[in-house]
Amino acid sequence: MTDAPVPITGMGCICAAGRTLPGCMESLFRGARAPAPPVRFASNHPVRYPVFEVPGFEGPPGLLRTSALGLHAAREALEDAGLDRETLRGMRVGVCVGTTVGCVLSDEGFCREHHAGRDPDMASFRRILHSNPAEAIAREFALSGPLQTVVNACSSGTDAVGIAGSWIRADLCDAAIAGGADELGRITYIGFISLMITDESPCKPFDRDRKGLNLGEGAAMLVLESERSRRRREKRARSFLLGYGSAGDAYHLTAPRPDGAGLRNAVAEALSSGGLTAGAIAFVNAHGTGTPDNDRVESRVLGDLLPGVPYHSTKGYTGHALGAAGAIEAVFTASCLARGMIPANAGFETPDPEIANPPVREATAVSGNAALSESLAFGGNNSVIVLGKG
Amino acid sequence: MSAAGRIVIEGIGMVGSFGCGVSDFSRALADGGSRPASLAVSTGSGPIEIPAHLADTSPLSEFVPARTLRRIDRFSRLALLGSFLALRDAGLADTERRRLGLIVASGHGATGITYAFLESFIKDGDICASPTHFANSVHNSAAANISILSGIAGPCLTVSQFHLSVPSALATALRWLAEGRADRVLFAAVEELSELIGYAWYRRRGGAKSVPMTPLRTAEETAVPAEGAACLLLSRAEAARGGYCALGEAVTGSRPDDGFPLPDAGLLVLSADGRKDAGRRFAALARNARIACYTPLYGSMPAGPAFDLAAAALILKGGRIFPSPGDAALDFPATVPAGGELLGAPRVSCLTLGDGATFGLATLENP
Repeated sequence: MTDAPVPITGMGCICAAGRTLPGCMESLFRGARAPAPPVRFASNHPVRYPVFEVPGFEGPPGLLRTSALGLHAAREALEDAGLDRETLRGMRVGVCVGTTVGCVLSDEGFCREHHAGRDPDMASFRRILHSNPAEAIAREFALSGPLQTVVNACSSGTDAVGIAGSWIRADLCDAAIAGGADELGRITYIGFISLMITDESPCKPFDRDRKGLNLGEGAAMLVLESERSRRRREKRARSFLLGYGSAGDAYHLTAPRPDGAGLRNAVAEALSSGGLTAGAIAFVNAHGTGTPDNDRVESRVLGDLLPGVPYHSTKGYTGHALGAAGAIEAVFTASCLARGMIPANAGFETPDPEIANPPVREATAVSGNAALSESLAFGGNNSVIVLGKG
Repeated sequence: MSAAGRIVIEGIGMVGSFGCGVSDFSRALADGGSRPASLAVSTGSGPIEIPAHLADTSPLSEFVPARTLRRIDRFSRLALLGSFLALRDAGLADTERRRLGLIVASGHGATGITYAFLESFIKDGDICASPTHFANSVHNSAAANISILSGIAGPCLTVSQFHLSVPSALATALRWLAEGRADRVLFAAVEELSELIGYAWYRRRGGAKSVPMTPLRTAEETAVPAEGAACLLLSRAEAARGGYCALGEAVTGSRPDDGFPLPDAGLLVLSADGRKDAGRRFAALARNARIACYTPLYGSMPAGPAFDLAAAALILKGGRIFPSPGDAALDFPATVPAGGELLGAPRVSCLTLGDGATFGLATLENP
């Protein structure tokens, strides 16, 4: 069954590439990237791994940085959609946000105190519970529609957009703010280093000499709106959510299934739900983390299912923003579709003999009305959305 | 709703302080019996014991080899046990899992292994962080373990919306089934009572002695922390073989200032769990509704509303309302007494309240 296209009437983004979506796009096409060892926290690990932090960003003290980033992106998206607080009051608006750390009860200071046999204060716990990303956005804009915080690891942002599209089609709400948000902190930084999948130098997605990912942080939000509401407001769609698919690998906690079966199923579902064939896809924003396993599996699946379709990873500009990554890449994909151009796959220099179909080396013109953005997650989840030109 | 569009609860898997499986849960509902044990918690004044509803995961060895279990943390074990029980209760064969989706709902997530991960580098430095603990601490690790060990390769989702995790995730399960993304969805609500959560309860209530939970007396704080898993196998009616009842709708949202009309249900099951602040809000909304409340059987936890759904399914299947355990319900005069029957529509709604003005509501019915 083909899903009806869902208009996207607003988009916002904050990440290492910029504090607004236009700023990020300008940065991507300029080829700018500046990963560096973390500034906001320290580590006694002997290697200082580069990351993509959002410099100078501070949220309100009672809110987790994750939710503050999410709110920042939501404000831009709502402004872009022309939805002020007064207009929102008369609408049923839901919030669906993906994250990995936004609702985890893991405050290091608290645990250190407890581990040392003291009675840690509960303020940090309360702050986490007060900062559920979806609830924080709903609270800020007094929204009364459905709420969901998706914690599907690195595909969370993509899933959140797909789920919000389903809400709109089912008329559960007139509009939904959907996306992802994640902050970079010590716990995540140390955790990924322990898995030995981080690169000591700027990441090189799909390159022969890739050694792993660089972590990033940020948020992106999209305003999905019913066609009825969009027409009533006479608002032009910036893009359309055409299809969504997701499937599990049922294979491993942290490694992708070597044959890419889950990703294949997710791509197939996303295309069929959008009533599309591979020939309709202008380009792919790949997950492309720069880890040897991810890039091998992903490029193989792309070569099989979408041969000849240009693809790129934008993580060379943003780092891997985990639960926010899928949403950040969704707004990049929509923006690139509108522009008819995709930026170079930053960090790709030396072709990998194992990757028959390399990503684009330079900014490349693309033609077509639909593009695909994919996310692969720990736990073996694969999620794909198809976006259409507005 | 036509039969073709109906969603059916085809199987139930329960793990809690009351025991393991539908029969233990049914027995506890009928007898009103489930006694909390105690959990040891480290505090600045030394170790103390707090009352707690704890679950036994040892029956999992029936489904998962001991060698595999060694690498799996308690949060995932609870989820796995509930999931395997639900699949077995529905009689779902391995060959029928091709179009099976999986949704896990948890308000707290895997806090035990998360704390263990932090301890690994707090003790010995950042370079000694445990990769195994980190991989298992990711919020969707239970879903990953379920999918790996039971071969579920359909869509897979984990939701964490604190007290609204269950109704929020359930709404998505219904959408998946309505859209045909899956023929069945294994819905698993799970909570682990780790030492970290135990400490948070200690800070909330001190070293309170065990008292019976009386959630329908809203002036008293009687919540007892808990862990467990409540899993439902949800199926499109055309794919289901029998089952307990139909699942009508699940919604979350924010309540307008003047409240909202309660559904026309034969019974309203409240997730009131002995926390005073939540109790007052329940009373304001449902004081005169025909209600029941079963939280004293399984305790206070964000996944609790899924236990209510299982109780509601058993009520609809059996046609008789289980008595609400606990003391006289002065704040809810229309509480259904022992032996009560459904009146009016064969429908049970389960109401959950989140922070602020947020709420979740799920409705089950006999077609």
